Amino acid sequence: MANENPFQDPLRFERQVPECAVVIFGANGDLTKRKLMPALYRLAYDRRLSTGFAVVGSSRTPLTDDQFRENMQAAVKQFSEDTDFDADVWKTFAQGLFYVAGDVGDSGLYDGLRQKLTAIENERHTGGNVMFYLSTQPSQYAEISHGLGVAGLGKGTGWRRLVVEKPFGHDLASARELSDRLHEVFSESDVYRIDHYLGKETVQNILAFRFGNGIFEPLWNRRYVNHVQITGAESIGVEDRGGYYEEAGALDDMIQNHLLQVMATIAMEPSASFRANSVRDERSKLLRSIRPMTPDEVRQNTVPGQYGPARIGGMDAVGYRQEKKVSPSSQQNTYAAVTFFIDNWRWAGVPFYLRSGKRLPKRVTEIAIQFNSAPLHLFHQDGASSGANLLIVRIQPEEGISLRFLSKLPGAGMTLRPVSMDFSYGSSFGERSPSAYETLLLDAIIGDATLYTRQDMVEASWSVVEPIQNLWRQSRHVFPNYPAGTWGPEAADEMLARRGHVWRKP
Amino acid sequence: MGTTVSPERVLKELSALWVSYGKEGAAGDGGGVLRACSMTLVVLAEGSDDAAALGETIAALMPEHPARAIVVSLSGAGPRALADRVQQQCWKPFGLGKQICCEQIEITASDEALADLPSVLLPLAVPDLPVMVWCRSPRLVRKAEFGQIARMATKVVVDSAAFADASDAIRWMAGAAESGLTIGDLSWTRLTRWREMLSHVFDNRDYLAKLSGIGEVRVEFRRPLGVSAWLMGAWVAGSLEHAGVKAALSVVELDGAGADPGPRVQLTGPNLHVELSRQEDRLVIEVNSLSSCTNLPQPSDYLLMREELGIVRRDAVFERSLASAAHLAYPTDK
Repeated sequence: MANENPFQDPLRFERQVPECAVVIFGANGDLTKRKLMPALYRLAYDRRLSTGFAVVGSSRTPLTDDQFRENMQAAVKQFSEDTDFDADVWKTFAQGLFYVAGDVGDSGLYDGLRQKLTAIENERHTGGNVMFYLSTQPSQYAEISHGLGVAGLGKGTGWRRLVVEKPFGHDLASARELSDRLHEVFSESDVYRIDHYLGKETVQNILAFRFGNGIFEPLWNRRYVNHVQITGAESIGVEDRGGYYEEAGALDDMIQNHLLQVMATIAMEPSASFRANSVRDERSKLLRSIRPMTPDEVRQNTVPGQYGPARIGGMDAVGYRQEKKVSPSSQQNTYAAVTFFIDNWRWAGVPFYLRSGKRLPKRVTEIAIQFNSAPLHLFHQDGASSGANLLIVRIQPEEGISLRFLSKLPGAGMTLRPVSMDFSYGSSFGERSPSAYETLLLDAIIGDATLYTRQDMVEASWSVVEPIQNLWRQSRHVFPNYPAGTWGPEAADEMLARRGHVWRKP
Repeated sequence: MGTTVSPERVLKELSALWVSYGKEGAAGDGGGVLRACSMTLVVLAEGSDDAAALGETIAALMPEHPARAIVVSLSGAGPRALADRVQQQCWKPFGLGKQICCEQIEITASDEALADLPSVLLPLAVPDLPVMVWCRSPRLVRKAEFGQIARMATKVVVDSAAFADASDAIRWMAGAAESGLTIGDLSWTRLTRWREMLSHVFDNRDYLAKLSGIGEVRVEFRRPLGVSAWLMGAWVAGSLEHAGVKAALSVVELDGAGADPGPRVQLTGPNLHVELSRQEDRLVIEVNSLSSCTNLPQPSDYLLMREELGIVRRDAVFERSLASAAHLAYPTDK
């Protein structure tokens, strides 16, 4: 009997995808319809899934397999942004879609799932490999994991993996408690905490850029880097997620997870290999090196904000307190700016400015690394622009990397002007980039956890955010403090001005 | 029509073109022009080749494989002629003010001027970057001048389906690969998605366990896919042999017309039947009673070249399959 597939050709073939079944809890929810099912369909369309691949949807609504297939077909048609709907591809993909209805607190649901998975294993040769995807309220994570454990579904003839969406707790204690509950059934290596930012091509490209090129890494330290700005800006308000946002806020919803993970990727030490744990060890080490703040430092180095009403482009935009399901006297932050310092030899003394907000002028996520200026200004510089070199990594919407440097203006004089050297992901590689969910789902099926968040990383990021969270909760903020459509509160500009820096306007 | 091409003048014209584009960019929307280059792409095409279609293919390749493209149009017999023209291929990525441009040099050469081509192409190649030669002219590969051009190439890509005789194509490619040339064949590239899907079947442990029982491999094809069919058969048989499985291989040419439009690959054993077939823009995979279907557009020159330009080193699997195909298809050869 052959032990290895003799037909492999790594030079030309995409990564191998093992046979498996994916069980989605919350299969009638928004995330399943908008992201998961379009991503899975796209993977099928692109020949990335195994022949017997199966999906078992589960939620409380009673549905037959066929009704579930019809619902998912409608979702794929509506939410697949750049994929043509192919009826024949869908037909064979849909043959692998199944549905089991039930309440996550009812043991009958897990019995039903076990029977369905056994039948799938026999008929579709999935080898007993099952990935459980929790696309439900976070409060149900522990209950579902427990239910799977009691029903014996946490183990089987193949591998078993559990994928959970953020938030991973709402503070350090709750994050630890959640991990403990999940670990009663699944070992940490089988728990995949999804942070869709890490699935974005440019975030992955940061590693390639830093560690695949010899010329940048020598400059990647306190001697040459002046400061780093990481921006995660949204132009929309909280829309119909007012209820959720009242619980989370910009600090918990964006900075604690997405932006700190991006910061860890930008600032981590090179890993010994590109294996999942090796990379995650370095990210984790970086997060643990971030200096936790005292209450005084929180006052100096953080700025909360909340948007007020404004008129944008001839349209009235309501303030946060006027949004649906939001308290008219809400103290919740819709904007957060934080200055972090990393206590290690590479980064000591270099400020990392992170900001995220709703209702900012545009939707943009980027990292700007400002290098120190030349020690002497020998030349006349055109205009008031700074001569500092700037490396900008754009994560969305136009993924790419730009390097700004000074160049001589043509002519007899010696006047310098900043010019930009651009690498645009979309244009340099005309190929469509896979969506973050396609990348992450495929990684989880393959068993590559590099882009997933590990328990120690979650705890480390809560540890640095918790002191800010505590002080902000105790304080009475004068909100709103920035009009919708602007780059945030003035206090955030002052926070940078104290160190002689200015926020970029991306 | 001129009779000489001065590489230095061509380079000077290119440089002037960049300056004028830069000025236009600065004067217009201020976005400027970004020059991009990751290789030199030499395209050798017959004068009778569809120049507009070829131009579109090259333009489509540029965003992913920005290159200095040198398109040599072979004008065939007749008076000695050698002429050039320089231009740029530009595009503006969505959301960016800046245009991205690549250089294109067009050279027209009659058969009598072929001997001068290598000395023109050599200085026009971009330093320090790979030189990819895409030869669309089967008649050219037999000429001595082609050998000189091929020697300066990092890789030579041909399409054996365009050769009049499959036997001739396989023999020439096998010989060229043996002589040390890094070669790519679009007939092989056409098989990538097929091979990948077949491989995926055996990623499944249940099916892998049944691999040893496979006793028959059958590849059916219609012209002009003869080389593809032999390469596919050789690859399947070779892979099985690597796993210690001896299977009888048959490569069968079907009549020109038929209800079934595409090629078909079947692997059969007592407990396993795997079949791959094309149905319009889809690849259908049947494994015993299970069937799945994925998107498989008809491979255009653009899609095939996009893959080949992404592989700059030697392709060991292809070279092994090519040598084996030569042996299987023409066992009387050495």
